[in-house]
Amino acid sequence: MIWGIFAIMAIAGLTIALFPMRRAGMAPVLRADAVPAVLVDQLEEIDRDMARGLVSAPEAEAARQEIRRRMAQVLRRADRQTVTTTGGRGALILAAVFVPVMAFGYYSFAGAPDVPAVAFADRADERADTRRIADLAGQLRERLRADPDGGPTDGWMLLGQTYARMGQFDEAVTAFRTASGRDDAVSATWSMLAEAMIRANDGTVTPDAVTALNRALTLDLSNPAAAFYLAIADAQAGEVGAAHDRLTARLAETPGYQPWMDTYIAQANAFAQTLGRAPIASRAPVARSPSAADVAAAQEMSEGDRAVFIRSMVDRLATRLEDEPDDVNGWLRLANAYGVLQEMDKARDAYLRADALLPEGDARKAEVRASIARLENP
Amino acid sequence: MIPEIGHFSLALALALAIVQSVLPILGASRGNVVWMQSAQSSAMGQVVFVGLAFAALMRSFVVSDFTVLNVVENSHSLKPMLFKIAGTWGSHEGSLLLWVLILAVFGAGVALFGSNIPAATKARVLSVQAWISVGFLSFLLFTSNPFERVFPPPANGNDLNPLLQDVGLAMHPPLLYFGYVGFSIVFSFAVAALLEGRVDAAWARWVRPWTLAAWMSLTAGIALGSWWAYYELGWGGWWFWDPVENVSFMPWLMGTALLHSAIVTEKRDAFKSWTILLAILTFSLSLLGTFIVRSGLLTSVHAFAVDPERGLYILGLLGLSIGGSLALYAWRAPEMEGGGLFRPVSREAGLLLNNLILAAATGTVLFGTLYPLLLEALTGDKISVGPPFFNAAFVPMMLVLVLFMGIGPFLSWKRADIGGVLQRVRFVALLCLAATLMLWYVQTGAPVLAYVAVAAALWLLFATLREWALRIKLFDAPLSESARRARALPRASHGMTLAHAGLAVVILGMVGSSAWKSEEIAFVRPGDRIEIAGFEVLFEGVEKRRGPNYLADQGRLKVWRNGSYVTTLFPERRSYPVARSTTTESAIRSTLAGDLYASITEPASDTAAKGGAWTLRILYEPLVNLLWIGAGLLVLGGALSLSDRRLRVGAPRRARRPQPQPAE
Repeated sequence: MIWGIFAIMAIAGLTIALFPMRRAGMAPVLRADAVPAVLVDQLEEIDRDMARGLVSAPEAEAARQEIRRRMAQVLRRADRQTVTTTGGRGALILAAVFVPVMAFGYYSFAGAPDVPAVAFADRADERADTRRIADLAGQLRERLRADPDGGPTDGWMLLGQTYARMGQFDEAVTAFRTASGRDDAVSATWSMLAEAMIRANDGTVTPDAVTALNRALTLDLSNPAAAFYLAIADAQAGEVGAAHDRLTARLAETPGYQPWMDTYIAQANAFAQTLGRAPIASRAPVARSPSAADVAAAQEMSEGDRAVFIRSMVDRLATRLEDEPDDVNGWLRLANAYGVLQEMDKARDAYLRADALLPEGDARKAEVRASIARLENP
Repeated sequence: MIPEIGHFSLALALALAIVQSVLPILGASRGNVVWMQSAQSSAMGQVVFVGLAFAALMRSFVVSDFTVLNVVENSHSLKPMLFKIAGTWGSHEGSLLLWVLILAVFGAGVALFGSNIPAATKARVLSVQAWISVGFLSFLLFTSNPFERVFPPPANGNDLNPLLQDVGLAMHPPLLYFGYVGFSIVFSFAVAALLEGRVDAAWARWVRPWTLAAWMSLTAGIALGSWWAYYELGWGGWWFWDPVENVSFMPWLMGTALLHSAIVTEKRDAFKSWTILLAILTFSLSLLGTFIVRSGLLTSVHAFAVDPERGLYILGLLGLSIGGSLALYAWRAPEMEGGGLFRPVSREAGLLLNNLILAAATGTVLFGTLYPLLLEALTGDKISVGPPFFNAAFVPMMLVLVLFMGIGPFLSWKRADIGGVLQRVRFVALLCLAATLMLWYVQTGAPVLAYVAVAAALWLLFATLREWALRIKLFDAPLSESARRARALPRASHGMTLAHAGLAVVILGMVGSSAWKSEEIAFVRPGDRIEIAGFEVLFEGVEKRRGPNYLADQGRLKVWRNGSYVTTLFPERRSYPVARSTTTESAIRSTLAGDLYASITEPASDTAAKGGAWTLRILYEPLVNLLWIGAGLLVLGGALSLSDRRLRVGAPRRARRPQPQPAE
């Protein structure tokens, strides 16, 4: 359909460019006609000015003389150039063909023919979905608030994540804050709280957020999100060098590739550019797990699409872990993902694999064991 | 699909522009009529395709199609329809699309209405116009695509800057651009004339309607912008010598000079290379304005560096068109034959003086606008050149200009009798002196310059009317005779009278509203009364009000004068939650004598919102409306001139030529 319309438009363009062919043989307006026409009018204008009493007779005569002299000059110098009224068709056809060729050529790399136009009025279903999620979030919030025990921490975390995804960062901050006040608050609770605070403030890392980030680091020194936002805080305080150091130091701590590294490296390189330092190469393997772009894409998706997307992401991760069973962080992420998908058995299995890999004394071990316990005795 | 049609349409327009930039000009130099003729069809084609693209973008705004990034960034589903439409040209990309559309409209205008122009000249003009089109269409497509898509679409848009959600401002850019870009065709005529090596009376006449049309739009655009600043910004000022204003004012000054110098070229075959230079410079200043506004240079020299691609592209275009045309000028202009001679006291000399002063004034504004940017780029110091500089440098020049403007129209071509002229204006001079003294007696206390300016404005007004009266022998002959003479005068002559008088009226408005302005700023509580310029204003309080996409605090002010009730004013402070910003909507009671202008800014303290104190700003600006009325007269004068039959002369002789033969 759309290509049909383009074809019609292109033919119209072609026809317009070819149109002069029809006018071949027509006599053009020549200087020798056009200029004297103006001068003749000027002569007549002098007569009219005389009649209006605006110029005196001698003035008028002098002006007439001048115009006549100009007219003689024009006629003397008039186009001696011979004019062909028919030739040059080859070039015209070539030019006409160029029009659609260039337009399609440009469009084929810059156009987006598959993207539909969607009027706001036609998106009522989507808005209904959004409203439904908002309602569900509202219900969840009311239930948590009504709970005499203050509601389970996981519930508050879910609520915070939902609000964050809906872009209601103030609500998200409230939910995460409640969760962070609990004894079972983990490092991620604090870093999510900080992230929500930062986004609620249009990207500014506020002092409160810094406190939360430091708390997250105390609980888990390896929390990449906490280190990342602290680096942003450094940069916002004008200490771009420190920010860059923080990111590169954290990157150096973890060998191999982790998905969070893409964002790290992109940000570090942005800092490096300001500082005039050398950029870092990406560590992402060629067939990589979801990139920052994928994640961004997921955020833009509708709920249904997002579920499918998360499912495919999780499947990809699970397949990769079959080949690389020693990846602790991978198992932890997989476990977390299954948790989100409400597949509790699989989540527990993944936690068990991670637990087996974690050395005694690792700060995360306690957290993992707690999760396993929660999953086994819901 | 519709955004994609718009996108494809732009690509077709670019392709046609490329053809138009090459073929017709080749045809003109080789004497090939078919190639020359191709300029007309491709110029028409361009306007169709760019128009289609513009319509596609506008439709995306109207239906809030958030798959178009430009709509996401500049609109919102809750925005009132008028401003959704205005959003089309509210952004960088959209305004450039409008730019290109107007470029195409002027090209098509010459193709359609220029039947009196020799084919070779027209072909060259349209080719040069197409060079500009190619530059800007490729800029649009390669760096600022208005049809960038997002999928899936975000839930809603980011709204348009609330300051811009205003009828005056919605209409302001199209008018301004019509003027700015309209001068492109004059530029094209100038470059074509340089290529052809011929400038004569006929050339000046062919260019005149386009110059006039562009000048009128620019005048209206600037006036509308100033009106908008007056009632929307909440300060009661109508001109701030802000760089954005200056860049539209410079082409206006230069264009005004061009308009006058082209008269000399038309009537006396003189000032040829000067007229060409003015045509080039006028459009160059329009381009410079576009560059400065669109590159982000204004915010800061560093903002430019954030998005260097766009800035550099326009800078390249700017260098190419200005540098290229000036180089061409330097090469070809010396070959132009000088025209008719004239004495130091003559209409020509008067117009020359007009040109010199206007050029110097443009230079002054240019300097004041660019100096801070240059300084920041070189030393990193940020300074701002504001009203004190411009008032000191610009105003005296304008006073001299106005002084001579009064006499100019009395002077005859070639050699004028200055004694006779002075005798005719003697009475006018006395009259305006008397009027000024009387004003001084009644309204003492303003700065001396204000009385001088009033005298100058009155001088211009009276002298202009006197000249008109002489022409139609008003009071020297029976009224019926005068009426007959008035009808017989060419419309362009009435146009001049109207425009000159319009300027006098504008100056009166400027002086009145700045030198005799009264202003009160006060913290007020409900029940407080303020006295200003003979008015008594009672602040009754503030109420909350809900608009379509904003919340407003609406103040309520009752106004009395000499004990009798005059009006109630409702100034507002609106906050737009989506765009997270606030605007002031001033309440104005307008009369010819002056405006009573009120705005509330913010609660004086936190408790204020609950019935406490507010900052209230009240101004009385005498004669301020004369500004817009005078601007209207300027535009009307231009329109009268444009409708003069002489501009349509020399139309097709084709009827008398052999009938066209079939192509095959």
